[in-house]
Amino acid sequence: MVNSYRPTTLPEALKLMETRDMIPFAGGTDLMVKYQSWKGTLPRFPKDVLFLNHIPSLKKIEVNGETLAIGAGATLSDVIDYPRTPDILREAVLSIAAPGIRNIATLAGNICNASPAGDSICALYALDASVILSKSGGERELPLPEFITGPGKTSLGRGELLTEVRIPLKEANLQVFRKVGTRKANALSKLSFSAVAEIKGGTIDGIALAFGAVGPTVVRSKELEKKLTGKTLEEIKVLYKDIIDDYSAMIVPIDDQRSTAVYRKQVALNLLKNFLESGLLKEMQ
Amino acid sequence: MAKISFILNGEEVSVEADPLKRLLDVLREDFEALGVKEGCGEGECGACSVILDGKLVNSCMVPLGAAEGADIVTPEGLRETEKGKVIVESFADTGAVQCGFCTPGMMMAAEALLEKNNNPDESEIREALSGNLCRCTGYDLIVKGVKVSAERGKDLW
Amino acid sequence: MNDEIRKSVRRVDAVAKASGLAKYISDYNFGDILYARLVRSTRPRAKIISITVPELPDGYYYVDHRDIPEKGKNRIQMIKDDWKVFAEDEVRYVGETIALLIGPDREKLLSLLSEIKISYEDQEPAYTIEEGLACKGGAIVGDDNIYGEYNLVKGDPDTAFNNAARVIEGTYRTGFQEHLYMEPQGMVGTWEGGRVNIYASAQCPYYIQKSVSGALGVEGKEVRIKQVTTGGAFGGKEHFPDVIAVPLAVAVNKIKKPVELIFDRIEDISYTCKRHPSRITIKTALDKENNITGMTIDTVINGGGYESSTLIVLQRALLHGIGVYNIPNAHVRGRAVATNTFPSDAYRGFGAPQGLYAIEMHMSQVAKELGMFPADFKRKYFIKNGDMTITNATMKDTVKLEEMFAAADEMSGYSKKIREYKDDPYKGIGISFVNHGGGFTGNGEQEIIKGVVKMKRTGENSAALYVSNVEMGQGLQTVLRKIAAKELGLNYTDIEYDNPDTDIVPDSGPTVASRSTMVVGYLIQECAKKLKTKWDEGVGAEAEHHYKHPSEFKWDQDTLQGDAYPTYGWGINVVEVEMDKDTYEVKTTGIWTVFDVGIPMDDTIMYGQVSGGVVQGLGYASIEKCEVLDGKFRQHTMADYVIPTSVDFPQIKNRFIDNPYKYGPSGAKGAGELVFDAAAPAYADAVQQLAGKNIYDIPVTPEMIMGLEE
Ligand SMILES: Cc1cc2nc3c(=O)[nH]c(=O)nc-3n(C[C@@H](O)[C@@H](O)[C@H](O)COP(=O)(O)OP(=O)(O)OC[C@H]3O[C@@H](n4cnc5c(N)ncnc54)[C@H](O)[C@@H]3O)c2cc1C
Ligand code: FES
Ligand code: FES
Repeated sequence: MVNSYRPTTLPEALKLMETRDMIPFAGGTDLMVKYQSWKGTLPRFPKDVLFLNHIPSLKKIEVNGETLAIGAGATLSDVIDYPRTPDILREAVLSIAAPGIRNIATLAGNICNASPAGDSICALYALDASVILSKSGGERELPLPEFITGPGKTSLGRGELLTEVRIPLKEANLQVFRKVGTRKANALSKLSFSAVAEIKGGTIDGIALAFGAVGPTVVRSKELEKKLTGKTLEEIKVLYKDIIDDYSAMIVPIDDQRSTAVYRKQVALNLLKNFLESGLLKEMQ
Repeated sequence: MAKISFILNGEEVSVEADPLKRLLDVLREDFEALGVKEGCGEGECGACSVILDGKLVNSCMVPLGAAEGADIVTPEGLRETEKGKVIVESFADTGAVQCGFCTPGMMMAAEALLEKNNNPDESEIREALSGNLCRCTGYDLIVKGVKVSAERGKDLW
Repeated sequence: MNDEIRKSVRRVDAVAKASGLAKYISDYNFGDILYARLVRSTRPRAKIISITVPELPDGYYYVDHRDIPEKGKNRIQMIKDDWKVFAEDEVRYVGETIALLIGPDREKLLSLLSEIKISYEDQEPAYTIEEGLACKGGAIVGDDNIYGEYNLVKGDPDTAFNNAARVIEGTYRTGFQEHLYMEPQGMVGTWEGGRVNIYASAQCPYYIQKSVSGALGVEGKEVRIKQVTTGGAFGGKEHFPDVIAVPLAVAVNKIKKPVELIFDRIEDISYTCKRHPSRITIKTALDKENNITGMTIDTVINGGGYESSTLIVLQRALLHGIGVYNIPNAHVRGRAVATNTFPSDAYRGFGAPQGLYAIEMHMSQVAKELGMFPADFKRKYFIKNGDMTITNATMKDTVKLEEMFAAADEMSGYSKKIREYKDDPYKGIGISFVNHGGGFTGNGEQEIIKGVVKMKRTGENSAALYVSNVEMGQGLQTVLRKIAAKELGLNYTDIEYDNPDTDIVPDSGPTVASRSTMVVGYLIQECAKKLKTKWDEGVGAEAEHHYKHPSEFKWDQDTLQGDAYPTYGWGINVVEVEMDKDTYEVKTTGIWTVFDVGIPMDDTIMYGQVSGGVVQGLGYASIEKCEVLDGKFRQHTMADYVIPTSVDFPQIKNRFIDNPYKYGPSGAKGAGELVFDAAAPAYADAVQQLAGKNIYDIPVTPEMIMGLEE
């Protein structure tokens, strides 16, 4: 028999998490699909369930100094409506599902589900987001790439809940998010691409490039980004072919029911080229 | 099992059930809210749409336990309101209804949209309906139904 | 006169449906109901070695082929009765019904279901048309896997090819398509009045009656079928409901209690019939002046594990294979092949969309070879009244394609845009021309269906009509009322017309083949005229009318020669697209349609058919990918089998061209399938115009477009 709990405060929830192995339940839009059963029967949860949506403190979204903090209870709609949500995150979240799902699904859930096709994750990588993991008696902060360890896998520890997503609000005069889905709306990703760059005085002051659904986890390379940082337009032109080749080597997608490896790779590189050619170079001129 | 209370179409109700039971099943089986349809059970089709705390949600994605204390409106509630009547009549007059299986959900989506935006343009309407699938109409006349609802209900929303 | 009938009225079912009051099968309360789950084959091709069923608690039942009454037959009586109600010792596809497990508690049922163990001896399956033709793993059916073959010959194609200056060839493929009616398959069987009753979401109550009574070994009238409000069908509730109604009836016959069998969506996508995949090779012979002198078309469709109605689908594919063209010498060959996929069956268009897609793409590609624009080339070959058809009869319709083209061109700017976009790799515009024969092929209405309708005066100013045709979204309950009301001088809301019940209504035939308005509507019109003459007999006066085939149309079913259809609906679609240069995603920026449906019986209802049919066709053309992997449909959730949403396609601009049909009510012709047919070739043509490369297969995915570039 599967039990479920509906705590109304975070300490209460963490206490419960400490005592037993439970499935945290946020919006349920992944869980209810995963454990879907015959109509009129209960979803097939293998473990007890901890509802998180009755905890008001988790729903907060606020800016602390230069950091945007999104509570684990905040829905995708909340994230869209919040005025200081970075553009590419808003676009990424708007590309997820449809209004009815976005009204219950959470950003934290999208992250914890750790699907290679999780659309917010791609944007959050490019935004250098981190997550706060709390348990009774403590919390830790992990950069997102350290939290997501594989398809459906995270480094969430026993007794821990993800309580907050943190995004440093950096200057970025160039922000691009592109999703290629199976149709024009309410679609799962074949791949996605996020780019954030700050151009100052004709040189790249900072840049982040992330590719979603083209590998087990989001593809982002700080090393390659470092190569680009500080470069001028002329220097980028010289490096152009190398950059494409380097990314090409990193992007190793698969075939599945939604698309093909060949397509995913080619389009990911096309989007990168387009960003470099028309986005970046234009901004630098 | 637990006793869980919420507001259904303006009335306080409670039900003794497993908190993991889908709200969709609770509404249909325990409250005979049969206007809430099951088209997929996987959040994709919108036939099970209800308005929960003022927001459009897919009731197949919501376990009862998550809806505790919520204010829920189903087609049964909406159709009794002035706004609901305007939407029903507008849908009927524009030919927005064919097999009708998607239609109650479409009404909920229309209501949710008009609450936020009482004068939506075509692309806003299409976006607002994008989680409600219809296989019969190709959507054109549903979009028109929402437009006409907005015109006729100018003073309501 | 016609202007009046076409004036839009409010549909009779609109308010109840919109407000959530209409009752679909899952909304009924039958009291103490038992639930049923199908025990299905998990293997594409195997011998069943053994089945172990756990001990069942009281009130739980396992029903299989041994429960078929002695005088009955373990066969579903579709067009062909080869499909078994329950598999016995072999299975031919994943999902084949082996048994039903029935009981009062659904949780318990699921756990019992998981304890049923079936052991199989696997055999090598064949999935594709090629594998079927090659008899991979040995023939499934006969010694060549061919359910049937037909050949239609007009003129002397051999000579045309022998003398040809050049021959252009192409092979076109279409995939499975899921109906995805929003209401999944479902029905409830009850034991009332000492017999089996079935309440079903279905198109054809009398088809179900035939299958159920056949399996139980009783007279038709000894089972009662009641259609309930049906949430979409598109052909998917034509024959398939038999596949679940019969096992359900066998169960009810055994248990004598109400049993509900309603599919979940995933079951529905995984285990119901789809549109037949096709492979069509067309060769065109041209003379020195680049005139078409001959054509051969070789069509193969994938029928899956059982034949059911596959050959009738094949016939329609062939009869529409040459499209709207008059080709002097032609040979159309068709075969249906057996494979180990889920049996394919009826889907809006019934074979015509596959045939029309291929010929339209081919004609467009021949035009390109000859340096012409598609419409300019195709128009040279438009069939006209009096021309010879592929079945060697004269075209009896007044063909208004030229007038329709002028309208389409004026609305869409096609001729201008096709020139403008010629060298633009990111913009394209496509056009297609189709026709669709109304009603059953040939003399089927006379020989097979023999439709009967009845009407009755029920009050001072009211009457009832009795037909077995169903409302499934297409607006029939409104349209037939309008037709009857017009003759009787009543308001359409004064006509009663319930969901059919085989105890009450005569058999006016199935709700298929775009026949309900044209054929049944005409019967109602004539019946209403009769009733009018008897009106003064008072309340209770009745009239009946039987189908009679107009004598000017001749047909020989054995040779498939003669007037294949008494009349055709005609259509033109123009689709304009843009492609994203990085992602190869195609955005449809304009859709223009022109249809000749005789006289529309209601402008709004007809527009709803156009918009719904065209968008369904565009889904078929672009995003509705459905592959088979290990015998299962790979896209079997709604997340993966994607249909168009409200944002995928823009609003359609449509125009109707009047062209009344003598034997249609107020001049109406069939329209429900026609509106589907033209979208896919117009879309694919638009994409091939921008790509500058031929497209052969649908769906045209971005993945495929990318491949064209190489
Ligand atoms: C119809 C439909 C369409 C969709 N389309 C898209 C799409 O286009 N793009 C996309 O990216 N996604 C899509 N999704 C999935 C998306 O809705 C989810 O990923 C959503 O964001 C998850 O949030 P949730 O709150 O519903 O998570 P839940 O389902 O509640 O949880 C998801 C996972 O995260 C865990 N979890 C949740 N919260 C916490 C926490 N605070 N601490 C620890 N673990 C936690 C849960 O245990 C579970 O494993 C779609 C889903 C549906 C049903
Ligand atoms: S039934 Fe809930 S979205 Fe389809
Ligand atoms: S009217 Fe049939 S699904 Fe929308």
